[in-house]
Amino acid sequence: MNDTSLNTLVIIETNHPLYEQIAAHHETRSVEDALASFKTYDLVFDLSALRTKKKITLLKELAKTTKAEIITDLTLAWGEMVFKSCPQVTGALSLLFYSPTAAIEYSTKSEKTKQQILEFLKSIERHGVEHTDLKLGFHYPRVISMIVNEAYFALEENLATPEAIDLAMKNGVNYPLGPIEWGQKIGTKNIVDLLTEYSEITEDPRYRLSRELKMTGKNI
Amino acid sequence: MEIKNVVVIGTGTMGQGIAQWFLQQKVAVEMVDSNYEFALKSHAKIFENLDGLLAKGKLQSADVANFKQNIHVKHLEKINPEADLVIEAIIEDKEVKKELFKKLDEILSARSIIASNTSSFPITELAKDLSDKRKNKFLGLHFFNPATIMKLVEVINGLETDKEMSHKLYMWFNARGKVACECNDAPGFIVNRVARNFYGESLRAVETYDLEKIKEVDQVIREVGGFKMGPFELMDLIGIDVNLSVTESVYRAFFDEPRFKPHRLQKEMVDAKRFGRKSKKGFYIYE
Repeated sequence: MNDTSLNTLVIIETNHPLYEQIAAHHETRSVEDALASFKTYDLVFDLSALRTKKKITLLKELAKTTKAEIITDLTLAWGEMVFKSCPQVTGALSLLFYSPTAAIEYSTKSEKTKQQILEFLKSIERHGVEHTDLKLGFHYPRVISMIVNEAYFALEENLATPEAIDLAMKNGVNYPLGPIEWGQKIGTKNIVDLLTEYSEITEDPRYRLSRELKMTGKNI
Repeated sequence: MEIKNVVVIGTGTMGQGIAQWFLQQKVAVEMVDSNYEFALKSHAKIFENLDGLLAKGKLQSADVANFKQNIHVKHLEKINPEADLVIEAIIEDKEVKKELFKKLDEILSARSIIASNTSSFPITELAKDLSDKRKNKFLGLHFFNPATIMKLVEVINGLETDKEMSHKLYMWFNARGKVACECNDAPGFIVNRVARNFYGESLRAVETYDLEKIKEVDQVIREVGGFKMGPFELMDLIGIDVNLSVTESVYRAFFDEPRFKPHRLQKEMVDAKRFGRKSKKGFYIYE
């Protein structure tokens, strides 16, 4: 368990990439079950993979069922907006995207929450890297999503094969993974969701999705 | 395909590395530079590098002696007209390059292949003024710095490039320890295009100059992303001016595609002459 003195719940769906590892160490519930439960907790980790609007709706509903502090995964959501809209949220982290390392980005303004996040990460054999003053979103997901999207634009234009693109990035600029294989490990749907969210928030056309990525990552 | 003799034109960092790599493949090399004295210095530097590899036990003395006999500095007019392959690695100036290719087209026999090591100019455009019989023997061969160590060579087909010929070159490089990747002719090719937002999105995460935020982004990208260097550390190493210039070139070549739009922080750094490590001041201070 996390801190044995705290009664902690992790809200997570069974299809989350870290579900099994987290469920082995923590009490877990799906979003639906968590909202239906009257059990009280001291601390809630919400690892639902939701974009801003649905995330805020969930967190507000959750606040009706518990007085616990909430630490939430904001990989796909607008960080500063969630913090502003949901006072019970004391910290955020980004666990949704596959990373080739064991480090996880997190953000909080409270030392107590920082320790809670670091303990939670330790329990699942991860460690934290702090992101201060979270604005639009976490650094790693936004940078890697843009790289993967561009690789899919290159595929769409028949610039090179997926294998050639991956080999070029690994051998030309020492990327730990090629962008196509990286996107597949993250899940292209997650990248589509993140860039769609950024496009809607910022209205900046730089976040336009590659058609090829959209086809791979979205069930239309 | 047999590549027995190569001419490398332009003997700066890239040209020197390319020349040394071919030499170590037992290919005869001729080095050419518009500044002959500079070519001689580059030639001497290759000798020094070979001696260094010998001292470290990475090369045999007989091989080093053979390599040294196999490389010569030449004036452009005196190069071997029967060269199998001529690689241009001069400054990134489109007009200067095109002028050089016209001269090479006249000097070289019909069988010689001409390649450009350009990092950003379209191959089809560079081939524009070549004779019709040469156009299909022209392609891009984009090496990465340092060319003796970095394995990648982008083999770039212009619209008129003979694909069978470029595929044979691709096989030739792969058989000699390089990782060759074939690609079509689009701005930035593979690497300089796909990597643009490693920098561009990181600049937008920071927005204005803030050293603490810059350190944070670098740390996250290294520790969470598993990259060897963070984007700001890498821009400082490459040169912020060089990085901005490549970004501007790709942005223009894609007719102002927003994904490649340069960021004002890059321009601000260049205006302040904070080019990175080479000026001892970039996103970080180097004293």
